[in-house]
Amino acid sequence: MFEKIKEVYAYRQMLESLVLTDLRTRYKGSILGFFWTLLNPLLLLCVYSIVFKFVVRIQMDNYSSFLFIGLITWNVFSQSILSGAGVIIRNAGLIKKIYFPKELLPLSVVIGGVLNYFFSFLVLLFILIINKIAIGWPILLFPLILFILSIFTLALTMLISALNVYFRDLEHIVGILIMGWFYLTPIVFPSNMIPNELHLIFDLNPIRIFVEGFQDIYYYNKFPNWSELLVGTIVSFVLLVISMKIFKKLSRNFAEVI
Amino acid sequence: MEVIRVENVTKSFKIYKERAVTLKERILGRKNKVEIFEALKSVSLYVQKGETVGLLGRNGSGKSTLLKMLTGILYPDEGLIHVEGKISSLLELGAGFHPDFTGRENIFMNASILGLNKKEIRAKLDDIIAFSELKEYIENPVRNYSSGMYMRLAFSVAIMVEPDVLLIDEVLAVGDSAFQQKCMDQLMKLKAKGTTIVFVSHDLTAMEKLCDRVVWINNSVIEDEGYPKKIIDKYLTFLANEENTRLLSTGTESGNQDESQSTNVIEPIEKNESDRWGNRDIELTEVIFKDSENNKRLGFMSGDTATINIKFKTNKETKEPVFGVGISNLEGVNCYGTNTWIDHYKIDVLHMSEIGEISFKIPSLDLVAGTYLISVAVHDVYGNPYDYHDKRYTIKVSSITSDIGVAKIKHQWILERKK
Repeated sequence: MFEKIKEVYAYRQMLESLVLTDLRTRYKGSILGFFWTLLNPLLLLCVYSIVFKFVVRIQMDNYSSFLFIGLITWNVFSQSILSGAGVIIRNAGLIKKIYFPKELLPLSVVIGGVLNYFFSFLVLLFILIINKIAIGWPILLFPLILFILSIFTLALTMLISALNVYFRDLEHIVGILIMGWFYLTPIVFPSNMIPNELHLIFDLNPIRIFVEGFQDIYYYNKFPNWSELLVGTIVSFVLLVISMKIFKKLSRNFAEVI
Repeated sequence: MEVIRVENVTKSFKIYKERAVTLKERILGRKNKVEIFEALKSVSLYVQKGETVGLLGRNGSGKSTLLKMLTGILYPDEGLIHVEGKISSLLELGAGFHPDFTGRENIFMNASILGLNKKEIRAKLDDIIAFSELKEYIENPVRNYSSGMYMRLAFSVAIMVEPDVLLIDEVLAVGDSAFQQKCMDQLMKLKAKGTTIVFVSHDLTAMEKLCDRVVWINNSVIEDEGYPKKIIDKYLTFLANEENTRLLSTGTESGNQDESQSTNVIEPIEKNESDRWGNRDIELTEVIFKDSENNKRLGFMSGDTATINIKFKTNKETKEPVFGVGISNLEGVNCYGTNTWIDHYKIDVLHMSEIGEISFKIPSLDLVAGTYLISVAVHDVYGNPYDYHDKRYTIKVSSITSDIGVAKIKHQWILERKK
């Protein structure tokens, strides 16, 4: 395991290339180009705002800010999983022709998602200021929560990307699951709106810890729930270790199966 | 010191005829029809540091599979593979090239894939561009490159990485001869620097020049290994033999047709085929090519002993018949032709219904490599044909040297130097 991390570090230049290629090719040929990275969550925000503010009528101060925090957090996770599911198959050309640690592929997807978060973070700061939400010391904790979130995301992305090679339906199944998972996470509504009978499901949802953590430090200007964050950290790292083991085993036959 | 250790490696592939990949097919329990193909059967190979080893063999013999396992793309089913040091492999050109990016951007990407960091790439960038001779085009997206330019860029990157172990799979074949020469020189330089090279190629001249040792892989096992010239010769002889069996098997099919034709020609009506004519007073019934051991053969090595066996049947008593043989190449150039009259080999008379055979013995088949068309004939002293088979037979000559021409003239070189 330690060996693997060392090897991935040795291939950091390739990782950089993979991430950059992905970012650069994603919007290649479109007129607004890289601006889509910023525009995308904003447009999504507009749609959700209209639906949940005016149709569902959620009563909350500065609802757009609240919603945006949840959306960009969710995006890191969902985009990585959805894009990561097919990343091994998409890069069949590389896998069949050269040697490199295959872990780089899901890792590059997650790093791309995290980079996107940083851009969204700038937009978020802008929205927070417009809505006159108090920004205090807790906001400095965002890299920590983001780091744990990305570990959790990486673990799941690796697992799904490897399994998808042998079982291609997974990509589609995951699409549906992610959509359901979205509504089981307090993104478009605050946690106190969750009815008591459903609380158990929400409590078991690890993504909730990260979304609520971000909501605490940005929206409520308070420190996150440390004990929950610790649980989230332990779960993430344990999951990562398991995923890496499975990935290592499955990756031996990638070149033959794809 | 052994840099590459391959011990008893076996690798087989599952070839799926119909494969259940989707959920529906899995649930319905559709059976996977699998055929197992053994690409390598307990192969062992050791390569010393600084050694250059060539892998030789027909297509599908397992060479590329071995290289892929050395790189770490594939893993062996059984056995052990160990490679020490930084490996760079040129298995397929331009792995990781992105068509929308410029040549320069692709150099960075490709070199990083081969394991270099930014600083190292920058230091080598000018060398790489200079070597590829693509200075004017380096800012253009590679999708506008010709295949030759593409290959030049890829090779320049791979060869400038200066690895400890370089694995090359049949990629030198692309590119013009000037660039190929340059690549060879660069490989020689790497070799001189102590790089270990494993090299798959069908360019046997290049292989002989570059390699310290050649390993011949045939049908998933190592057939032989050793000194390049010796193994290459052995391999070529093997190829010529295989070609011979192939020719013989296709020859028997067409031979059957010939027989039906020859039963036709017994009829008195004079039949004029485009490649056979004459009044058939003497009829040539069969022409067989044989080697020194009297085996039927259609593929020969240059310098082999060969015999052309002509069977005939006399339909009418004939005085002083003349038998002739002609050899021409595919361009229609007559390489050699002679007959019994020219050679003063006198045949008095052939009686009615006589059956016999005449042999044309060639102690050393001095022809350069290529396909040759053979004509045989019997005619009278004035040249009026009884039976003339014009270029009806084909033989193949293989050669371990790459000399050219129509005639293979016996020769030797002598260098004398004076102070």
